[in-house]
Amino acid sequence: MKYIKQVLGGDLRQYTMVLALGLLIIIFNIISGGRMLTSSNFQNLLSGNAYVLILALGMLMVIVIGQIDLSVGSVAGFAGMVMALVAKNYSIPWWAAVLVALAIGVLAGAWHGFFLSQLGIPGFITTLGGMMIFRGGVIWISRSISVPAPQELKWFGSGYLPEWGPSFTGMNNSTLLLGIIGIACYIFAQIKKHKHSGDATGVKDPVWALVVRIVLMSAIIGYFTWLFGSGRVGTSFPVPGLILLVLTIIYHIITQRTKFGRHVYAVGGNKAAAALSGVNVKRTYFLTMMNMSFLSAVAGILFVGRATAAGPADGTSWEMDAIASVFIGGAAVSGGVGTILATIVGGLVMAVLNNGLMLMGVGADRTQVIKGFVLLAAVAFDVYNKKSGKSSIIGRLFANK
Amino acid sequence: MKKRTLLSMAMAATMMMSTFVGCGGGREGAGDAASTDTSASTEQTAEATTGELPGFEKGATIGISLPWLGTQNWKEAEEMFTEQLEAAGYTPLVQAADNKVTQQQQQIESMIENGAKVIVVGPVDGSQLGSVLEQAKEAGVYVIGYDRLLENTTGVDGVVQFGSVKTGELQAQALLDGLKEKKGEGPYNIELFGGGPADPNAPNFFKGAMSVLQPYIDDGTVTIVSGQTDFTECATVDWDNSKAQARMDTLLSGFYSDKEIHGVLCPNDGIARACITACENAGQDIPVVSGLDAENESVEWVWAGKQYSTVAKPTEDLVAKTIEIIDSLQAGNGMPATDVTANNGVIDVPVYELPPVVVTKENAKEVFANDPSRLELLK
Repeated sequence: MKYIKQVLGGDLRQYTMVLALGLLIIIFNIISGGRMLTSSNFQNLLSGNAYVLILALGMLMVIVIGQIDLSVGSVAGFAGMVMALVAKNYSIPWWAAVLVALAIGVLAGAWHGFFLSQLGIPGFITTLGGMMIFRGGVIWISRSISVPAPQELKWFGSGYLPEWGPSFTGMNNSTLLLGIIGIACYIFAQIKKHKHSGDATGVKDPVWALVVRIVLMSAIIGYFTWLFGSGRVGTSFPVPGLILLVLTIIYHIITQRTKFGRHVYAVGGNKAAAALSGVNVKRTYFLTMMNMSFLSAVAGILFVGRATAAGPADGTSWEMDAIASVFIGGAAVSGGVGTILATIVGGLVMAVLNNGLMLMGVGADRTQVIKGFVLLAAVAFDVYNKKSGKSSIIGRLFANK
Repeated sequence: MKKRTLLSMAMAATMMMSTFVGCGGGREGAGDAASTDTSASTEQTAEATTGELPGFEKGATIGISLPWLGTQNWKEAEEMFTEQLEAAGYTPLVQAADNKVTQQQQQIESMIENGAKVIVVGPVDGSQLGSVLEQAKEAGVYVIGYDRLLENTTGVDGVVQFGSVKTGELQAQALLDGLKEKKGEGPYNIELFGGGPADPNAPNFFKGAMSVLQPYIDDGTVTIVSGQTDFTECATVDWDNSKAQARMDTLLSGFYSDKEIHGVLCPNDGIARACITACENAGQDIPVVSGLDAENESVEWVWAGKQYSTVAKPTEDLVAKTIEIIDSLQAGNGMPATDVTANNGVIDVPVYELPPVVVTKENAKEVFANDPSRLELLK
C-alpha cells in the first residue's frame, strides 16, 4: 500500500473521483457489452458534453469565490441566438458573428460583475435577475423560433481534426500527434517536479515511483489516443474536446500559477483577511463573474454549432449541470476550495453516468434520479470527511501504519 | 455501424504499444472495405453493398426517439411502438427526451452505438438535430421523421405525418361550421391561437386555418377583436396550456369586457380546454372551439358539448405507417415511393402524409368505433 501511495504521490483524496470515474466506465462497458469504450461513443461523449464542462470551468471559480451564477444557461442561449441572428440577417461572416457572441458574453459578465462588486448585491440575486433577463431576451429576439446557424460553426460543435500523413499508423495522425505531445508534456513536467521534490524536505521521491507513474500515465494517455484516433476515417479527437482541453489547461494555469488565481482562492477562503493583505476583492469578484459569462458564450457557440440551429430554449438548466459538476468535483459550498482538474473529473462522472445509462436504455426519469443521488452522495462524502477530520475510504486504505 | 470492441482496461498498455509500432487495428471508412481488420470484416460486407439496398436481419434494433411523454399521443406512441415492433420480431429501443434537445441528441447517438438499423425521430425541435442525424446517416442508419419534419439536415430519409396544412384547414372549417350551428348568423367575434413555434407543424396549422378564415375575415362575417392575426402574436410557446390560458385571460379582460366571444381557433386540445376554462372564468358563454389530438379529456368535453370539435390524428395510423416503412427497409426495398416532398431548408424530404379526421359530437361514435378506450368515454 505504501508503494502505491508513493507512485500516486501524496494526496490520495483527489483520486477518489478519478477512481470512481474509471470504475464507472469499466462497469458500463461490461454491462453494455462493450458499447461504452468505442471510438464513436467517446467522441460523442466529449462533443456532447464539452459545453457543460466549459461552463463548469468558470463555475468552479465562481464557487471558489463563494458566489454562484444562475445565469449561465440563459447567457449561453442568448449569445448563441444573437450569433445566429446577426449571421442570418446581416450576412456578416461567421467569425464576425462568433466575435459578436463572445462580446455579448463579456458584456453580460460585466453587468453581473458590476452589481456584485460595486453594489455588493449577492451573486445569487444578481444572476437570478440575469437568468430572467437573458432568457426573456432569447425568446424576445428569436420570437420563439429556431434560427439556423452558419454551416462553418458545425466544425466547432461537432467537427474533427484533419487527416494527414502516412496511413500505416492506423489512426488519425492529428490525434496521434496530440497524444504524443500530451505524453511528452507529462514526462517533462514529472521530471521537473522530481528534481525539486527534495527541496523542502531533503528527501527525494524514489526514482522507481517516478518511472512507474510515467509509464502508467503514458499508458492511459496512449490508450485514449488510440481510442479517439482509431475510429472511422475522418473522425478524430473531436474539435469541441480540443477546445475544452485547451481551456482546461489555460484555467488550470490561471488558478494554480498566477497572482489572480491566488487572489480567487484567498477571497473565497477568507474575504476579510484577503482584503487586509492587499487583495483587491472587488476586482477579483468582477473578473470572475465576467469570465463566467464569457465562457457561457463559448459554450453557447459550441452548442449551436452542434445543433446546427439556435433555439429559444437553448441553455435551459445548464447552470444546474455545471454546478453539479463542480460539487461532485469536491468544491466546498462555503468557497475557497476546489480545483479545475477535479471539476473536469466531476463533470465527466456526470457525463459518463448519463451516457452509460442511455446506452443501457434507461429512461430520462430514472437517469435523473440516479444523478441526484450521486450528487448528494459525493457532497455528503466530502462534508463527512471534513467534519470528522478523517481521510477518505481510499485514504484510509493507504494510511501509513 | 463499426465498433471497435475493445474490452478491458487491462489491454490498455498493449494497445498503446501497438499504436506506436503502427499495427493497431486498421480504420474503416464509410463504404471503404480496404481495412485489414479481420474481426470487423463481416460487418463491412453488409455495408459495402449499400447501393443495392441490402435490408437487414429481422431481429434488428429499431430506435424510437420521442420528445417526451407529457401528452397522450406520445405516451400512446411509446406503447404502440414497443408492442408492435416486438410483435413484428424487431428489438425496439424506445426512449423519450423529456423535451430537452441535448437529451435527444445523446439518445440518438446511443441508439447509433447500440447498432440500430432504423431510427424514428419525433423531434423536440425539428431543426436542432442536424449533426447527430448526419452522423446516423454516415453510419448507414435510416432516419425517419415521425409526426414532425426534421429540418436543416441532410440526415433524413423520410417523414411520416398527418398533413399539417390540411389539419389547419379542417380546424378552421369545423370552427365555421360550429359558429353557424351554435351562434346563429354572423358576424362572429373570434380569437386565434397558434401552437409552439419550435414545432414546424404549428405555423402550417395556422397557415391552413387562415387560408379558410381569410375570406370570411375580409367580408366581415368574422371579426378578430384583438386584431392579433400574425402567427408570432398568436403562438403558444412549447404548446404550454398555461401560457395559452394566460393569453386568453388577457384577451378577455382587454377586449371582451363589453362584448361576447363566439369562437376560438385552437391548435390542439390542451389549448382548447385552457381557452374554454378562461372563458368560463370570465363569465362568458362557452365559445365554439376547435382542437386537435382527440385527447381523452377533450373527447369527453366534445361529447358533453363543451368543446365543439377536435381533430383526431390517430396515433395507430402513424405508427402503422411507420412500421410499414420499416418493414419495407428490412426487406431491402428501400423507402416506399411517395409524390409529396417538403423542403427542410437543405434537401427535399419525402413525406408520407396521412389524412386527419374531424370529430364532433355527431360523428364521435363512428370515428372511435375501433377504439374501445375512447368509445368508453362517450357515455
